[in-house]
Amino acid sequence: MFAFTKESEEKIETILAKYPEERKMSALLPFLTLTQRQEGWVSPEAMVEIGKRLDVSPAYVQSVCSFYTMYFQYPAGKYIIRFCHNISCYLNGSDSLLDYLSKKLNVEVGGTTDDKKFSLIKEECLAECSAAPVMRVNDDYHVNLTKESIDKIIDSLK
Amino acid sequence: MEKETVTLTIDGKTATVPKGTNVVDAAKSVGIEIPIFCYHEKMLRLGCCRMCLVEVEKMPKLMTACTIDATEGMVVKNDTPKVVKGRQGVLEFTLLNHPLDCPVCDKGGECPLQDNTFNYGAGDTRMEFKRFNNVKKKELSPVITLDRERCIACQRCTTYSEVIEGDQALVMHNRGFHNDIGTFNDQPYDTRFSGNVVDICPVGALTNSIFRFQARTWDLDNAKTLCAHCGCNCNIEFGARENELMRVVSRQNDAVDDGWICDKGRFGYEFVSSKNRILEPGIRKDGEMNVASLDEACDETVSKLKTIIEEHGPKSVGFIGSPFASNEELYLYQKLMRLGVGTNNIDHKSYDDTPGLPVAHYDFTDIESSDLTVLIASDPTEELPILDLRIKKAVTRLNRNLIVLNDQKTLMDKYASLSLRYNVGSDGVALAGLAGAIADSLKQGEAPKVEKLEKTTGIKPNSFKDFAEKMIAAKKVCVIYNPAALTGNSVAIVKNLLSVLNQKPEGECGAIPAAPATNALGAMDMGILPDFYPGGVSLSDDSKIKEVWGESAPTEKGFTTCEMFEKAASGDLKALVVFRSNPIVDFPGGDKIEEALKKVEFLVAHDMLHTETTALAHVVIPSVGPGFDEGTTTNIGGRVQYRRKGLKAESFPDWRVLAKLLSGFEIEAKYLDSFTVTAELAKKVSGYEEIRRGSIQKEGKTRPAQASVNGKTPEVTSPDSIDGFKLRVSEKLFAKDKILESESALAHHFSEPKAILNSVDAKKLGIKSGDRVKVSSGNRGLSVEAEVEDSCNPGAVVVSNAGDEYRVLALIQDHNATVQVSKE
Amino acid sequence: MTQILLKNFEVEGLTTLKVYEKLGGYKSLKKAFSMKPEEVLNEVKNSGLRGRGGAGFPTGLKWSFLAKDSFPRYFACNADESEPGTCKDRILLEKNPHLLIEGLIVSSYACLIETGYIYFRGEFQDVADLMDEAIAEAYKKGYLGKNILGSGFNFDLYTHLGAGAYICGEESALLNSLTGMRGEPRSKPPFPAVQGLYDKPTVINNVETVCVVPWIVNEGSEAYKKLGTEKSTGTKLVSVSGHVNKPANVEIEMGTPVSKIIEMCGGMRNGNKLKAFIPGGSSVPMLGIEHIDVAYDYESLKEAGSMLGSGALIVMDETTNIVEATMRLAYFYMHESCGKCTPCREGTRWLYQMLGEVLNRRGSPETIKTLQDACDNMAMKTFCPLADAAVAPVVSSIDLFPEDYKSFFAEAAATAG
Ligand SMILES: Cc1cc2nc3c(=O)[nH]c(=O)nc-3n(C[C@H](O)[C@H](O)[C@H](O)COP(=O)(O)O)c2cc1C
Ligand code: SF4
Ligand code: FES
Repeated sequence: MFAFTKESEEKIETILAKYPEERKMSALLPFLTLTQRQEGWVSPEAMVEIGKRLDVSPAYVQSVCSFYTMYFQYPAGKYIIRFCHNISCYLNGSDSLLDYLSKKLNVEVGGTTDDKKFSLIKEECLAECSAAPVMRVNDDYHVNLTKESIDKIIDSLK
Repeated sequence: MEKETVTLTIDGKTATVPKGTNVVDAAKSVGIEIPIFCYHEKMLRLGCCRMCLVEVEKMPKLMTACTIDATEGMVVKNDTPKVVKGRQGVLEFTLLNHPLDCPVCDKGGECPLQDNTFNYGAGDTRMEFKRFNNVKKKELSPVITLDRERCIACQRCTTYSEVIEGDQALVMHNRGFHNDIGTFNDQPYDTRFSGNVVDICPVGALTNSIFRFQARTWDLDNAKTLCAHCGCNCNIEFGARENELMRVVSRQNDAVDDGWICDKGRFGYEFVSSKNRILEPGIRKDGEMNVASLDEACDETVSKLKTIIEEHGPKSVGFIGSPFASNEELYLYQKLMRLGVGTNNIDHKSYDDTPGLPVAHYDFTDIESSDLTVLIASDPTEELPILDLRIKKAVTRLNRNLIVLNDQKTLMDKYASLSLRYNVGSDGVALAGLAGAIADSLKQGEAPKVEKLEKTTGIKPNSFKDFAEKMIAAKKVCVIYNPAALTGNSVAIVKNLLSVLNQKPEGECGAIPAAPATNALGAMDMGILPDFYPGGVSLSDDSKIKEVWGESAPTEKGFTTCEMFEKAASGDLKALVVFRSNPIVDFPGGDKIEEALKKVEFLVAHDMLHTETTALAHVVIPSVGPGFDEGTTTNIGGRVQYRRKGLKAESFPDWRVLAKLLSGFEIEAKYLDSFTVTAELAKKVSGYEEIRRGSIQKEGKTRPAQASVNGKTPEVTSPDSIDGFKLRVSEKLFAKDKILESESALAHHFSEPKAILNSVDAKKLGIKSGDRVKVSSGNRGLSVEAEVEDSCNPGAVVVSNAGDEYRVLALIQDHNATVQVSKE
Repeated sequence: MTQILLKNFEVEGLTTLKVYEKLGGYKSLKKAFSMKPEEVLNEVKNSGLRGRGGAGFPTGLKWSFLAKDSFPRYFACNADESEPGTCKDRILLEKNPHLLIEGLIVSSYACLIETGYIYFRGEFQDVADLMDEAIAEAYKKGYLGKNILGSGFNFDLYTHLGAGAYICGEESALLNSLTGMRGEPRSKPPFPAVQGLYDKPTVINNVETVCVVPWIVNEGSEAYKKLGTEKSTGTKLVSVSGHVNKPANVEIEMGTPVSKIIEMCGGMRNGNKLKAFIPGGSSVPMLGIEHIDVAYDYESLKEAGSMLGSGALIVMDETTNIVEATMRLAYFYMHESCGKCTPCREGTRWLYQMLGEVLNRRGSPETIKTLQDACDNMAMKTFCPLADAAVAPVVSSIDLFPEDYKSFFAEAAATAG
């Protein structure tokens, strides 16, 4: 069963206040984000609940949810690592670093470690190109990556 | 009002089209075809397939002809090298990952992708990679299969689901190359209108699971016919092979169905081969039914009826007709009863209704042009599905307004700008109050004491005013009412309301009597009524009757169905002919009817399928019914259309049966086919003068509104207060009845009946959703699941008529429909 | 050099209202409110400011297209920044959120808009949080909300986050996404200025564009026009990335030669030779060394065969495998195509597959022909410019470096032989 937590409910009020009453569907992405933050993923039950609140069908919620790559429709790791491999990072050696990280975590790119701690995802440009290579771990950006800095960041994550 | 037009040229041809027409349709109007995939004239302009690229003078890029409006002086080129290359490119992309399995595809022979490739394609593909392997067969529902590999992501189906159905059930998942149509969490796509996606899919991706791989489209014998399930009379094509029905597809008629049909129309046709069909006539001897020839059955009928007439007079014979049969059949039956037997004991329904309207008889298209539609006691979603789509279209796409007036919640409430819920049984008081409020606003009548009405009707005083103001403010009002769901003399009160509304100094109004049955309007028109001759001729119009029907035509009021059953029970009605009707299950108080029918000395059942009623009959005559029969029907909009046969019957058409019976009564009946009957009724039935073979092709023909007998203002009686609950029986589109039996492709929609209780009452009785409750009256009891939802006001219970086996209508044993509800 | 955007960036605490105000922040409000809205609009129009989001459309002109007498109107600030190579908006948001708020207030005043949304790409949660704090401060101080500084002008500002979709940077897709829909572009016309957010007239501007407005109001359009070239006025933030020694966001005056910009970033990495550069983000054609001195402005770059785009200068030195780099970009567009248009959905994938063939030494001159033709069949035939963007790197790299492509066939032939 899915339910929004009390803190989430409070946030829901702030979110809904942003949009005109008759356009509350605008809150769909924020609701999905909120759910993902609360649960680590967006479950079908959550979609049903969101649909009810915003007067759209669960199928619609799922359709929107699946369009955006930041939502998981399955439980993902505690730390979501989004590792940029696009042009500027690529030019600065992101491929070998990603490879390094993948081996270090012993998980394939796109996968989640067995202990559900890390999900490693190949990411398109993260908009820190002047500080490439870049990765994002949950909400935090890490730039000018080297093997050493990667080690440090990963090892600091509990 | 003249529509503004624009003139443009396409490949040098000049086209003048209404403003707002897109270039694809403008081209079509001068015979130029621009290839399309995603564009569908009934839906949004999507512009996603990019097939319709054209060159437009002064525009640097190729444009998609489907998304741009034709404008004055526009110069469009459809055949330049740039266009040709552009389209070849698009087709190449479209086919990159398409399996090209045309030889085994259901769409083969009617596939826009195949056609466009043939006409505009470059020939071979340069794609050298393994095609993306997608799911070949994914069951979206028991009746629809998705072949994902063939999907070209045109978004027609998902747009349909969102915009036309309004359900957002079929959606696009993922994005880009991984776009995939599907439902929420892979649940079945089982809406009421899901089948239309098969028709609109421009490739063979969405297929009819039942038809899949069964036949090639070009091998089918297609009959342009009508759906016989409800009063919408949608246009369909019946595809048969070797006299076996293979599939039903829609056959667009904008005046009726707008190109859509419901799933019952598409998939609910298994009754044509039901094992329950009556194939041969039978005569009961010593309690045993024996097969007989048609002549024997007819002779038996005629001679028995004659004997009874001789002994007990014509008033001892009755006829119950069918609102599902064709005008021709019904016409002949009333002729037989009136001129042959000499009785007006003729009826087809269990509710009060009279022919004619004090205002214009509106058609489906009027719903779109009316700025306000008022829906009274009607649940189109379950009763008249295409009406549901047409109202949704008016509201969501044409910005029209809707007022809903009902005693139960319906899916239409969501679309209404005002939704009034009156107490079950108080429809008369509520409607009279609303009529009064309109009159008051027009300063014509006395202000009704709406405060007083609140208690009886449950409608708030200011809602009466609100309603009246909205009615008066609207320029064009379309009132749709379901006579079958109104009680007492409410139909007369609705007509009174219409008369009052008609006094508006400005604007226009009209009405659609929306009884659910296929040809309910036709049955009225054909005079299957105890007090009206065909064409709405009242019994008091003696001279007219004599002029048309001769001196011997009876003018004494006949019995209604209800009276016939009473008379049968008391032994006064000796013989009864029942044509395609099963009152034991379909009329309120079925148990009493069953008892009464058992008492009838001579019962003739002329029907398509075996029923509880045919089981009691002394003579049974098969009626071939839809699929096999031919004739006209009149839809709720007053549109007369032709129902063609799609299959050759194993027995004789009804008009032949009738001809025999008529001859038996020494009435000339030299009919050659159903059209000879049509020709005769056109001469005899006012309003049908112009109905003939030629005039009803294509869109059919509306028959003019009949004038209503302007009687006195109907009396309004308040409902009695009762001890118990008032029962409201709600209709279900997919009910398990004789037509949709357990083997039906639609069986997945069947459900048990539910008792929906208002939360106030549920609390009093300590009932929660999911509890088992007993709904009972007299010696009838029905154990059902309870659902607590404010579907109706307190004091009533809504029970869904989910199937014949539950005999829900048998719970109605008095005129108040009182039932008791208790927790089990 | 005049700094309009990166001014005060080293000052500590610039993100706080206190420091921002101390450095002259929110000064433009008073000045703007003393003018009529249309006067502010004309000032921006006169400045020659062009949109910094990619298309370079004159900003004042865009504002003047708003459907007359139709209210409410909305402002949608485009902070989606997803174009590969581009990171200029992020730095503005991260370091100077109040500048954007100030710009949005003044711009909305000029456009008679009372509600604004900043649409961040989903990954920008951190800067969006920062912005929420800044917005809260601005509300507290009366810069946002009702009757701002007694002017009678009301303005509410909200943040809204996307969730991972490059296409949502395209303005109509952005509006759909903001409405709670899939980020598929809408048909144009109607243009957002007529029917935008919630079908109401809407202005959509890039973060950088909006951040320039306070300066124009404060200093006047004439002062702005003095900067840059005649048709490309003012300064521009350029995100420099790739093979330079000190990749950075630099603010240049329009018309500065690319070679100079590279120099500003410490020159070529390891002293290597330049092979190619993409001047305006991944969606514009790449240029070769012969254009090293091209002036960085809209007209000159166009003349050179490329575009200024989003102002992201991606530098590639002689060690770069052009085919592989191109394929990386092709992957991006395949990944980001919304899938609505057939040529884009299918074409982006096909390009990626064909480039892979080349790289895997299975290509031939035929492959190149097909690649080029497929590009031609995609270009200008779709709903939105994403497909055009997708073909830009492919077409230009084949044009500029046919030998690089051939080198893979040569090897292909050798291995086959
Ligand atoms: C595929 C695509 C992606 C875009 N991404 C962005 C973006 O990330 N940020 C942005 O400001 N503009 C982006 N744009 C441009 C916007 O559509 C729009 O032109 C711009 O936000 C207008 O603001 P401006 O006039 O201030 O430049 C993109 C356009 C396309 C076609
Ligand atoms: S060009 Fe590509 S991204 Fe743009 S609308 Fe079409 S499919 Fe979507
Ligand atoms: S029919 Fe015009 S784009 Fe599909």
